[in-house]
Amino acid sequence: MPTVGPKTAARLVFYLLNRPRAEAEALAEAILAVKDRVRLCSRCFSLTEEDPCALCTDVRRDATLMCVVAEAKDIFALERTSAYHGRYHVLGGLISPMDGIGPAQLRVKELIERIASERPSEVIVATNPNAEGEATALYLSRLIAPSGVSVTRLAYGLPIGGDLDYADEITLAKALEGRRTLQ
Amino acid sequence: MILTRLSLSNVRNYAALEFAPAPGLNVLAGANAQGKSNLLEAIALLGTGKSFRTARESEVVTSGMPTAAIAGDAQVGAGMIRLSCTIALGATGTRKRYAVNGRNVRYATYLGKLRVVTFVPAHLQLVAGPPSLRRSLINTALAQESAGYYAALAAYGKHLVQKSALLRGVVESDDALLATYNERLIETGTRLILARRAFVAALDERARAVHQGWVGDADGTLELLYASNVPVEVPTEDAVAAAFTARLRTQRDSESQRGVCLVGPHRDDLEFRLGGRALAAFGSQGQQRTAVLALKVAEYGTLEARGGEAPILLLDDVLSELDRDRQRAFLHGVASVEQAFITTTGDVDVPSAATYRIVAAQLEAAG
Ligand SMILES: [Zn+2]
Repeated sequence: MPTVGPKTAARLVFYLLNRPRAEAEALAEAILAVKDRVRLCSRCFSLTEEDPCALCTDVRRDATLMCVVAEAKDIFALERTSAYHGRYHVLGGLISPMDGIGPAQLRVKELIERIASERPSEVIVATNPNAEGEATALYLSRLIAPSGVSVTRLAYGLPIGGDLDYADEITLAKALEGRRTLQ
Repeated sequence: MILTRLSLSNVRNYAALEFAPAPGLNVLAGANAQGKSNLLEAIALLGTGKSFRTARESEVVTSGMPTAAIAGDAQVGAGMIRLSCTIALGATGTRKRYAVNGRNVRYATYLGKLRVVTFVPAHLQLVAGPPSLRRSLINTALAQESAGYYAALAAYGKHLVQKSALLRGVVESDDALLATYNERLIETGTRLILARRAFVAALDERARAVHQGWVGDADGTLELLYASNVPVEVPTEDAVAAAFTARLRTQRDSESQRGVCLVGPHRDDLEFRLGGRALAAFGSQGQQRTAVLALKVAEYGTLEARGGEAPILLLDDVLSELDRDRQRAFLHGVASVEQAFITTTGDVDVPSAATYRIVAAQLEAAG
């Protein structure tokens, strides 16, 4: 299991051995439930127990905004901000031909179809600021541009609470490029 | 820049070392396999985060140990800076950490704080050896000088690898994806081309003067030319980007057919000419070596002039490769730099130098 090393695994085993049988059964059931009940939303490809997911069916969410993320876990990060109330689309990864991942291996076709049918006014590409994230975002904007829908990306910037002094030159240069007028 | 303290832990044959180098010339003398080059390699690692001897950094860690640590204090301008670079062995490869004044930083921030110019025997192949050797010299110098250059170089390399995989057919061919990689290669590559062009022009001017001071005009003038894969008349961003775009278009079919990236600064070269003739093809070995020495002096001078601060000069066993006259001329120049380290199996006749004898990873001041 990811993030669980041999030491942690041993500790878990000893913990479970000391618990009543009922508790172990409950845990086993919960794990099976994940396997049985959690599936991909057929619309946005996020993880859900009901299809379509709550994020897709919630009428209070802004249907004119669509945020494209690489993985379902990125949705949880964005939702924690409470700053975004639009729809999502999970690509299932980032384009990386050297790893055998091209657009066909991701949910790119599905994204283009959704944009055509749902007609959002803005697509926000929220991929990581690394080479693969950047290439994926530029590729998507190339594909979406002909439809007339505006495509935006998350801004690069300085970490909140950081010192300008210690920001690396690249981050600082990107933050300068993305500067804003003070209101 | 002056390295005032160097501290090693589990670096090659050094279990632990504390060394307080002197300003000016530091001579590291001793028999082979005692640790002279290891010490020089450690200083380069402290400055650049990279070894000049191996691409497999696990080799730097003393065998049987989990981590190698190199730390040092350097006087930079009016202030002091504390640097550290550690290499840890892990199940999935080595992991490096960098710190400046006790704070962990990214490599892009670390690089360039302590600048070094290295000169190792392999550099004597610079004139006649493969182009990658010459590109690497330019990249190493410029990445230390400018964080922007390093970022462009790293991004260029990543997009190039992806485009190659796309051309080789690892994934289904896709025109929009190819155009995306080309767009990124043009943007980052243009920056590399402009920086390289200016740097080589500065090298050319200095190397020419140094060379003439050594040998006069007997063989003709030494010239260093930037042989760009994307040549332009006027070095502006727009002109380079336009030429890059045009060349990608004309080479498009060849790239697809051969499955190789044919266009861009990864195919650049640096050409040496003496008296108007290609030195690689027509020069004697002596002429080629003199040209390399002139280039190294020019590299040092250019980095010093452009950075406003003298880099540290690291010379690994280059004396033995030179005849007496070239040795003398070279040492004369080296004796006056802010700080240099030179390894030798023999003696170095420079009165002002601080000499250390190295025997089995033990350092002893010898005057
Ligand atoms: Zn959904």
